[in-house]
Amino acid sequence: MDTSAASPASPASHIDLVARVSDLGKTYGAHDNRVSALRGVTIGIRRGEFTAIMGPSGSGKSTLMHIMAGLDSATTGEVWLGDTEITSLADDALTILRRRRVGFVFQSFNLVPTLDIEGNILLPFELDGRRPSAGEREWIDQLVVSLGLVDRLRHRPHELSGGQQQRVAIARALATRPDLVFADEPTGNLDSRTSREVLTLLQAAGREYGQSIAMVTHDPIAASYADRILFLADGEVVRDLGKSSAEEISSLMLGMERAA
Amino acid sequence: MKRLSVAEHGPSVLVAALSGAFGVSVLQFVGVISQIVAADSVTGDSGIVSVFLGIVAVVFIVIAVYVGSIVTANTFSTIIAGRTRTIALLRLIGSSARTQRRAVAREGLSVGVIGAVIGALAGTAITVGTVSVGVAVGFIPDDVDYTYLSPVLILPLVVVVLTTWIASWVGSRRVLAVSPMEATGAAHELTLAEASASKGRTVTAVVLFVTGTAVLVLAVILGLVSPFAVLIGVVGGLLSFTGLIVGAHVVMPVALRLVGRLFGASAPARLAAENAVRYPERSSRTTIGLVIGITLVTTFAVALQGYQNLITAARDSNPEYYEGIDDAFAVTLVVFTILMGFSALIAAVGMVNNLSLSVLQRTRELGLLRALGFTGRQVRGMITAESAQLTAASVLVGLVLGSFYGWVGAQSMFGSINGSPGFVAPGIPLPFLAGVVILAALLTLVASVGPSRRATRVTPVAALALE
Repeated sequence: MDTSAASPASPASHIDLVARVSDLGKTYGAHDNRVSALRGVTIGIRRGEFTAIMGPSGSGKSTLMHIMAGLDSATTGEVWLGDTEITSLADDALTILRRRRVGFVFQSFNLVPTLDIEGNILLPFELDGRRPSAGEREWIDQLVVSLGLVDRLRHRPHELSGGQQQRVAIARALATRPDLVFADEPTGNLDSRTSREVLTLLQAAGREYGQSIAMVTHDPIAASYADRILFLADGEVVRDLGKSSAEEISSLMLGMERAA
Repeated sequence: MKRLSVAEHGPSVLVAALSGAFGVSVLQFVGVISQIVAADSVTGDSGIVSVFLGIVAVVFIVIAVYVGSIVTANTFSTIIAGRTRTIALLRLIGSSARTQRRAVAREGLSVGVIGAVIGALAGTAITVGTVSVGVAVGFIPDDVDYTYLSPVLILPLVVVVLTTWIASWVGSRRVLAVSPMEATGAAHELTLAEASASKGRTVTAVVLFVTGTAVLVLAVILGLVSPFAVLIGVVGGLLSFTGLIVGAHVVMPVALRLVGRLFGASAPARLAAENAVRYPERSSRTTIGLVIGITLVTTFAVALQGYQNLITAARDSNPEYYEGIDDAFAVTLVVFTILMGFSALIAAVGMVNNLSLSVLQRTRELGLLRALGFTGRQVRGMITAESAQLTAASVLVGLVLGSFYGWVGAQSMFGSINGSPGFVAPGIPLPFLAGVVILAALLTLVASVGPSRRATRVTPVAALALE
């Protein structure tokens, strides 16, 4: 796609980063009731890794995800997706960027109720006004099989269980082989067994297909599936952990809550 | 109990006001025309014009009130759908469903009274204004001292208040089905079970439609003997049309699907086609007002065409009988055309209101589409396509029905006139057809401007965060 934006100034160490933000700030409101959601956040999401972004409510983790995904605007700082700086992009360019280079899995209401499952999976292509190429078609068929959706293609979302709906959302997010998949509390509405299934699928997408994933969550068990865990508190990154167990993550979270 | 919200009840007040203005105006115009006719030396003694006008006035008012009631009942249903959370919260605190429903009906009564008062004033203003202009340009004779106020005018106003009240009661029946659980936010999407209709309803619809059609056929036959057959025709029309409205959840989705196919296979067009039929209940509510309006307008256009065909044929066989009758009917024709616009306007208010509410209730889905890569233009395109489909489907159904009703109307009212040729073929005047198409296109645009602006103004993040 558009590679002309690759700035020669970007340091070599950024090459393995699929997305990064530097000195990112976001404030809401004006004057007296100004609230800072993010205060100078600088992070990079590594290519092919499953990264969890954790933090208590109000820590700014959702805002960070929204800005990185081109859904919300930054107040200060730079946001890069691959080698595109997105804070300067106009709404239409951002929309096309989301369509082609980003995938989404939300907590709920992920699917368009009027489209069947296949229609939902193919939606990003349809929005682009094209049909998947033979190669893409093969990839989608493979996803549909591995996510166990073969018998469900003609169903409508409301006919599926919550876990099945999340699998469809994952299939759709992976279908375009985006640079980065954002998952916003993807297991927030699921029971624990279904949660494990969905998390295993996301983990497998990273390991088997090299898909980069950034998952926002406040659930230590969910975060324990990730390769790396970033902790946010009060709009700042406070810890950057490698793979950790749910127990380690929990105690860290508790410590942060007590300190607050 | 609480103050009326302009945003919520504005459209209903407007509908009641339009119906009231309509009723008042029709009666005043009939009065004016009767005064002209009485003063006219040629037609003053024929009497036939006054009889026809009286019949026509009653027909017009009944139809206008009928359109108004349906639009109001639908508007109230949509308002209730949007208020579910509040009602559920009050139920949770301990208010009974019946108390809640009575409160809604009280709002309906206020809406009816306010609308009727505004309508009376506006209707009188329209009549006086039109007559003054008519006199000024010499279209209406100036040698008559026209009077506008008459005790009869109270009747349409009382009818408007009563029907608005009843319509709000009928439209609020969903209040009874709101469970206090809905206040907890567990069930804010409309359930699909609500859309699936009972068998009994479909049977009722078919029975009404078939009976009504039979009565219409009877009216055509009796019309060869007496002009009063048109009153039987009105009954048949109301019966068959009520059948269509009761069965709209079956008929309209079929029409919408057919029209939807014409809009191509792009993602916005396909989504629009699906949106248009996702809640059969709601899409029939949205379209039925317009179907009524178009049917009505077409009925009168085709009836007038039929009347002209019949009178032309009759005049050829008996020229001296029809001397001088032309002018009075030319006036009537102009007045009718203006008044027809009123009914279509009532229907259009309902359509615009329903579309914007349905887009408002879909904010979260629009947020998802924006996140996934729908550009603002694609969202606008989708909403416009939806609006166009609703309009086009309504226009098609309305044109077909209206042509039939109009032909029946002309046949039953004028089939017995002196020198009648018996039957004439129905015909749609071409200028009228062109006018309908242009107005439908305009309505499509007007109806989609507000909702699409609102839909694209909300950021995806805000839309997605909506519970």
